[in-house]
Amino acid sequence: MSGGLLTTSVGSFPKPDYLAQARNEFSLKRISRQELAELERKATAEVIRLQEDVGLDILVHGEMERGDMVAYFAEQLTESMAIGGLVRSYGNRYYRKPIITGKLRWQGPMTVEMWRYAQSLTDKPVKGMLTGPYTMVDWSFDEYYGDRVQAVLDMAAVMHKEAAELDKAGARYIQVDEPAASTRLDEMDLVSQGLSIVTQGLQAKTITHICYGDFARAFQQIVNLPVDQLDIETANSGYDLLELFRRDRFGKELAMGVVDVHNRRIETVEEVVAGIRRGLEVMPPQRLYIDPDCGLKTRTWDEAEAKLRVMVQAVRQVRRELGMD
Amino acid sequence: MLTTVVGNYPKIPNRPRPPKLRAAISRFERGEIGADELRRVEDEVTLEVIQEQVEAGVDIITDGQIRWEDDQTYLARRMDGFSIDGLIRYFDTNTYYRQPLVEGPVRWREPVLVADYEFAAKQSPVPVKALVTGPYTLAALSANHHYGSLRELVLALAVELRNEVLALERAGARIIQVNEPAILQQKEDFPLLRQALEGMMDGLRAEAHLYTWFGDIRGLYPQILELPFAAIGLDFVKGPANWDVIARQPFTKKLGLGVIDARNTKLEAVEEIVDLVRRASAVVTPDMLYVNPSCGLEYLPREAAQAKLTRMVEGVRRAREVLA
Repeated sequence: MSGGLLTTSVGSFPKPDYLAQARNEFSLKRISRQELAELERKATAEVIRLQEDVGLDILVHGEMERGDMVAYFAEQLTESMAIGGLVRSYGNRYYRKPIITGKLRWQGPMTVEMWRYAQSLTDKPVKGMLTGPYTMVDWSFDEYYGDRVQAVLDMAAVMHKEAAELDKAGARYIQVDEPAASTRLDEMDLVSQGLSIVTQGLQAKTITHICYGDFARAFQQIVNLPVDQLDIETANSGYDLLELFRRDRFGKELAMGVVDVHNRRIETVEEVVAGIRRGLEVMPPQRLYIDPDCGLKTRTWDEAEAKLRVMVQAVRQVRRELGMD
Repeated sequence: MLTTVVGNYPKIPNRPRPPKLRAAISRFERGEIGADELRRVEDEVTLEVIQEQVEAGVDIITDGQIRWEDDQTYLARRMDGFSIDGLIRYFDTNTYYRQPLVEGPVRWREPVLVADYEFAAKQSPVPVKALVTGPYTLAALSANHHYGSLRELVLALAVELRNEVLALERAGARIIQVNEPAILQQKEDFPLLRQALEGMMDGLRAEAHLYTWFGDIRGLYPQILELPFAAIGLDFVKGPANWDVIARQPFTKKLGLGVIDARNTKLEAVEEIVDLVRRASAVVTPDMLYVNPSCGLEYLPREAAQAKLTRMVEGVRRAREVLA
C-alpha cells in the first residue's frame, strides 16, 4: 500500500443467485429472517474473499443485506418511516418507495453488526456504508414534515448517530452516499449541511460518492462538501470530469471510477491505465484512489470480478511505472 | 370547472392485485409470449386504469400512457432518425429514461398514437384526451448527433409531429395535449418553442392544450398566452411562483390548474383544494378551469394515485358548491 493509488470499490456487489432467491422466498414468508440472515453472511464472506483474492486495498462488505439503499434504512426506522407501494424507476423496474410518517429518530444501530462481521473476516479495512440524509429524504415521500430542510436535518442527525456507532466500532473509512445530491443545484447547500452533521467529530476518514448529476455545473459546491474524500464516476464519461480538477486545485482525496458499471464489456488494462494516467495529471498518487464508477450490483458476479481484476492489474502497472512498488 | 389528469398513470398495482404488465413485459423479453399477447395485456391494463379514473370521478381522462416506457422513447422508437441509448435521469425525479439519440433526419412514418387513442376513446364512458410530447421537449431530452443545432432539430420535429397531431384529429380526438415541460428549464428558447408550435398546431380544429410541469413560467408570461392553444397547464406544486405570475395579467385562456401534488402520497384536504380553486378563481373564471394533478401520476403507487384523484374530485365538487 505504499505511496498511494489505493484500490477500493464503491459499495454494492451483485447478489449470488441463492441469495436473490432467498430474498424472494423471505418476501413470500417461506423462510425466516434467521435463514435469510445466514445466507447474507455467507454471501458477505464470499464478497470479502473475492476482494482479497483480487487484491483490493480497501474493502466493502458488498451490501448483501440491502435491497435498496434507501429502503434498507427506512425499514429499520420503524417509528418514523414506512415502506410504501411500488413506483417505477425505469423500463420494467420498480421499487418500494418509503414514506416519512413521523419525526425522524435513531432507534439503534442499523449497519454495525454487518460491518463488524465483514471486518472480522479480513485484515484490510472495510468501509462503513451509509446513505446520505439528502438522498434518504429526496427518495422518500414525506407525509410528516412538509419542509424538506427540516426533514434533511433530522435525517442527518439519525445518520450521524449511526456514523458515530461505526466510528466507535473501529471503522477507518465511513462512506456517506448522496446520489441524489446533484439533482438540484439550488439545494447543494442543504446537501452540504446534512453531510456536515453526519461527519461531525468522526475519527474515520469520510467519503461521499456522487453520481448521475450535472457534475460540471455543481462542481464548486461538490468539491466543498464536508468529507475527506470525493468518489466520482469518470470512466463512463470518457474521463472528461477530470478536466474540472485541472482548472481548480483540489486539496482533498479523490476516488476515480475507471470501469463502467452500466456496461457488460470488460475494459482492457490499457484503457484503464490510460484513465489512471489522466487522473495522475490532476492529482498526486497519495491522494488518488482507484475504483469502479459506481456500485457493482447491476453486473453479474463474473463481470464484477473481471472488471476488478483489470482494474488492479492496471494499477499495478502504473505503480511499477512510477516506481512505487 | 372540469377535472382532468396530466398524463401517465401507474402501470402496476400493489398486492394483492397482480402486477400483470410487469409480468407480461418480463415474459415478452424472455421470448415466452409474443407481441400480440403483450398488446392484449396492455389493453387489459389500459381498461383498468380508465376504470380507476372514471371511478374517481375525473371528467376528462387519458389512457394512462400504459404502453409508454417514457414520454420520449415511445415516439422516438417509432420515428426514423433515432436510436435509443443509455439511462438518464428525468428532470429532478428518481425516474430514468433511455435517451434518444438523433442520428439522421427525423421522420414520421405512420401514426404512433392513433390506435391507442381509438382503443381508449371507444372503451371510456368519459372523454379521453390525446397526448403528444412536444418537439422542444423531445429534442431537449435527446442527444443531437445529426442536426447542426437544437433549433434545426426542434423545427424538424415540429414538422414531423404535426402529422401525428393531424392523424389524432382525424381519428376524432377532441382534445389534443402537447407536453412541453423542458421549456421551463431553458426559458431563453421560448421564441424557438413558439415558432415550432405555431407551425405544428396551425389550423388545428381540436381543442389544443399545452402542459408544463416541474417549474414555473416566470419570464414566459404573458407571451405564453399567445401560443396557439386553448388551455395552458401549469404546475403550482413545483412552481409555486406561478400563482404570482398569473395574477399579474389577465389569464386569457383556460387554465390547467396543477395543484394536487402528484409526487407525494400525502393527501390534500378537501378544504385545502377548495382554497386553491378559490385562489385561482380570482384570476380565471371557474368555467375556464381544468383542475388536475401537478404532473403525471406515475411517481405515486397506483392506489395512492387513485386516492389523489378521488380527493381531487371531492375537493372540486365542494369548490363548485362554495363558489356557486
